[in-house]
Amino acid sequence: MRRIARYKLLLAACVAWACLWLPPLRSMLESDMTLHMTVQLPLLTAIGVMLAMVLRPHEPCWFADADWLGIPGVLLAIFTTSLWMLPRMLDLALGNVSIDLLKFASLPLLAGLPLGLSWPRVPALGRAFLWANLISMLATMGGLYLGAPQRLCAYYRLDQQSAAGTALVAIAIVLGLAWFIVLFIGAPSPAKPRSADKSRINERFGWGASHTFPRS
Amino acid sequence: MKRGFIPLLGLVLLIGVSALARATDGFQAVTSDGARQLSVARHPRSIPDVRLIDQNGHSFSLADYRGKTLLVDFIYTRCPTLCGVLGNDFHRVLAAMPNKQLDLLSVSFDPANDDHEALKLYGDRFGATAPRWRIAVAADRRGLDALLRTFGVVVIPDGIGGFVHDGFIYVVDQHGRFANIIEPNASAQMIEAAMRPAKP
Amino acid sequence: MTTQAIGTSRGGIDAGIAVRAYLAVTGIVLLLMMLFGFTMRLAQAQWINIEPNTFYMILTMHGSGMVGITGLSGAAVMWYFVRRHVPVSTGVFVANLVFFLVGALLILGSGFIGGFAGAWTFLYPLPEHSGGLWSANAAAFYMLGLLVIGVGFLLLHLDVLRGIISVYGGLGAGLGAKQAFGLAPEKDGPPPAVAAATMASISNIVGIVIGAVVLVLMLVTLYVPSFTFNTLLAKNLIYYFGHTFINVTIYMAVIAVYEILPMHTHRAWKTNRAFYLAWVLSTLMVLTVYPHHLLMDFAMPTWMLIAGQIISWVSGLPVLLVTAFGALTNVYRSGIKWSVAAGLVFIGVAGWAIGVIPAIADGTVIVNSVMHNTQWVPGHFHTYLLLGMVAMMLGFMAYIGGGRAPSRLGPAGLWTFLIGGAIFVLAFLAGGAASVPRRYAVHLPGWLPYDRVGVIGAGLVVIGTSLLVTRFFLALRSPMSGDGIR
Ligand code: HEM
Ligand SMILES: [Cu+2]
Repeated sequence: MRRIARYKLLLAACVAWACLWLPPLRSMLESDMTLHMTVQLPLLTAIGVMLAMVLRPHEPCWFADADWLGIPGVLLAIFTTSLWMLPRMLDLALGNVSIDLLKFASLPLLAGLPLGLSWPRVPALGRAFLWANLISMLATMGGLYLGAPQRLCAYYRLDQQSAAGTALVAIAIVLGLAWFIVLFIGAPSPAKPRSADKSRINERFGWGASHTFPRS
Repeated sequence: MKRGFIPLLGLVLLIGVSALARATDGFQAVTSDGARQLSVARHPRSIPDVRLIDQNGHSFSLADYRGKTLLVDFIYTRCPTLCGVLGNDFHRVLAAMPNKQLDLLSVSFDPANDDHEALKLYGDRFGATAPRWRIAVAADRRGLDALLRTFGVVVIPDGIGGFVHDGFIYVVDQHGRFANIIEPNASAQMIEAAMRPAKP
Repeated sequence: MTTQAIGTSRGGIDAGIAVRAYLAVTGIVLLLMMLFGFTMRLAQAQWINIEPNTFYMILTMHGSGMVGITGLSGAAVMWYFVRRHVPVSTGVFVANLVFFLVGALLILGSGFIGGFAGAWTFLYPLPEHSGGLWSANAAAFYMLGLLVIGVGFLLLHLDVLRGIISVYGGLGAGLGAKQAFGLAPEKDGPPPAVAAATMASISNIVGIVIGAVVLVLMLVTLYVPSFTFNTLLAKNLIYYFGHTFINVTIYMAVIAVYEILPMHTHRAWKTNRAFYLAWVLSTLMVLTVYPHHLLMDFAMPTWMLIAGQIISWVSGLPVLLVTAFGALTNVYRSGIKWSVAAGLVFIGVAGWAIGVIPAIADGTVIVNSVMHNTQWVPGHFHTYLLLGMVAMMLGFMAYIGGGRAPSRLGPAGLWTFLIGGAIFVLAFLAGGAASVPRRYAVHLPGWLPYDRVGVIGAGLVVIGTSLLVTRFFLALRSPMSGDGIR
């Protein structure tokens, strides 16, 4: 990315961060469980991903080295996000400004940033696996909120809780469908796959000549 | 595998697992209710000496209850639902253990609407008579907030003019400590068990 | 690069050995599970005496074990053939086997140590309400075992799709969607193995993701009883997962038909428009129809439950039709030289086709109210699983490891398996028609004739399968057997 563009992105991230923290937006997003879980938390994480895009050229060597296949970074992001999905942590953040501040710091810096830095290092199969898990975990959380007969958060009503559950399930379904559609359409075929070309394809992937029919 | 991977992975796991463990009190509580239950059972909390005014307009203090077991619930008198259940529960407790060294206290968290007239009406609905069963408001806002904070009670607007709140009964022991929590719909035996004095 | 290098070009693990390891595990587990089935049949026939609780534990283990092992061997068939066309990772393939073995251990432990007997369908909330027969931990081990197995399959299917996308560009192209709708010439379409692997992987990924949701939800409710969730929804999610997984075993095994028959007839498998259309339609049905029906089910009327069952069978119908038709035209007047492998895969197509007929009968509402929950149901699914899926898979096994084995073992095994299988499923179907209920440990005297005929059939199946599996193991001694890779 060009330097100017990087500064613009950094500025955008900081402005978004500040806006989310300022009372009108913060109290609005936190007043409702659905907004809190499906808008504020993801936006905070996204800010971290933006920071990662800005900071990538300055990423310390040791981290780039030690972050093998992006595993530590992604794991850190998973820990951080699951922490803030706990009903108790939502309650604490609402009842206590310093904990809310912790949320505002940790989601960008300990979830979005490591995620953004590590993601390019994750192999394709790993990314697909993470997507599948994200979808299933969102639906699971949604299912729990929908099914719980009592309130799980002291600060949210039962109807808000089940609305949040529905929203999580809906997001999971939309993400799943979107993923499927993108993969279904895919890119224009990289090689016209005809049986005559098979050996060429195999060569391209380092798989050697195609297999010949056995004597049966 | 690259250099530094294992140490970094170890660090992330350490931080992540210990943060999750802290946030869930050792993987035992994912909700605030659960966490409060654990914390109270482990370390009973001493309650602040708040001044309150009961349904007859008499002023009293929480310290007056020292030496007796006190059951507390939090209500507002206009409540169409849960507070009626809580009132019935207290009525049942009194009927089941008439001679016990036991007092009851219903604290209103809606002082703006609950004057002592309203408190009295609520008390009469369930046969409450002071001082055995007081229906009271805190003398000032700070007192109420201190009470709500100590008991970990959260009250939120229900969006139609009333409040959403919990249906727990809170046990304060002879030493003036918040020592136990009774689930809604608990049986008389469960309530008795919850009132048994814990280790001092 | 030489053929030798193919196997070791990734991760240093030899693909040929990996496939053989899959089949060796399959051979052993399959026989063990068949012996469990045989034991149940013996008990129902009152030729041996076992406690009802033990019966239900065995039923649970038989159901889960069979579904698991057909999934595993189906994956081996799919992977072996699809890797001729697209790059796939041997490491992931082996990882799936490891996950499977770990999960299987957890499940066996939950049954034989923990006494879990909530059936392979583990319908919520049964695992939590055992009436003291098993503990929450036993149920949790069972569900954890399923989750672990699910992780392995998820990785494998994702890797297969990744390989397909890397060659064909997208899943649509992998299925031959353009060919299906006449937008591209048929001859440019993907090989049948690729189309089938695409469909099977998509379906199983969706099924596993949904299965993971319901399993984690159930694990949470197991330990935090204040969480509950809608039982009807849970049932639908579980059935979606279970039906998909078991149906996909057939879609994977059928690749053996597409690849092995042409080798014997020396005719390419015809991949025409109908073929692609069938696979596209089946994919779309699996993806849209059933989940759609899940979404609106909070108070689901019975007819919808039944419709859901029909759909889950009918969704395979297009594929079944093109496969049966394709197999017949491939063989017809081809001057085929039959081998054990070709014979078994051909039996597989027939068994699948025949087994689906009673399934559809069961699905129709009127028949359903009479036949459902009778042995008609195990009758039809054993037809298309045992005589369909397992036959195809045994054909694959014979193809991989048959070359040097004693020549009479194979035909003897094939015929014993076929005759025994026919008797065995007919006994179930006849019992069902006579209203013998399924899942009963203790049978009334009037039902015993069906059970006893069933025992004879089951015994023959066990013998026939043992012969075929023995043949495979004997062939393992000579590592370079007929299949050409190692
Ligand atoms: C020798 C071969 C086999 C025998 C003797 C056998 C026997 C049995 C018996 C007796 C039952 C219980 C029927 C009842 O409900 O009364 C059963 C159920 C079942 N079998 Fe098999 N079976 C065999 C092969 C297979 C195969 C190859 C599969 C493949 C997936 C399979 C899957 C199942 C399933 C899913 C159930 C239902 C379990 C339940 O109701 O929870 N079986 N089998
Ligand atoms: Cu109330």
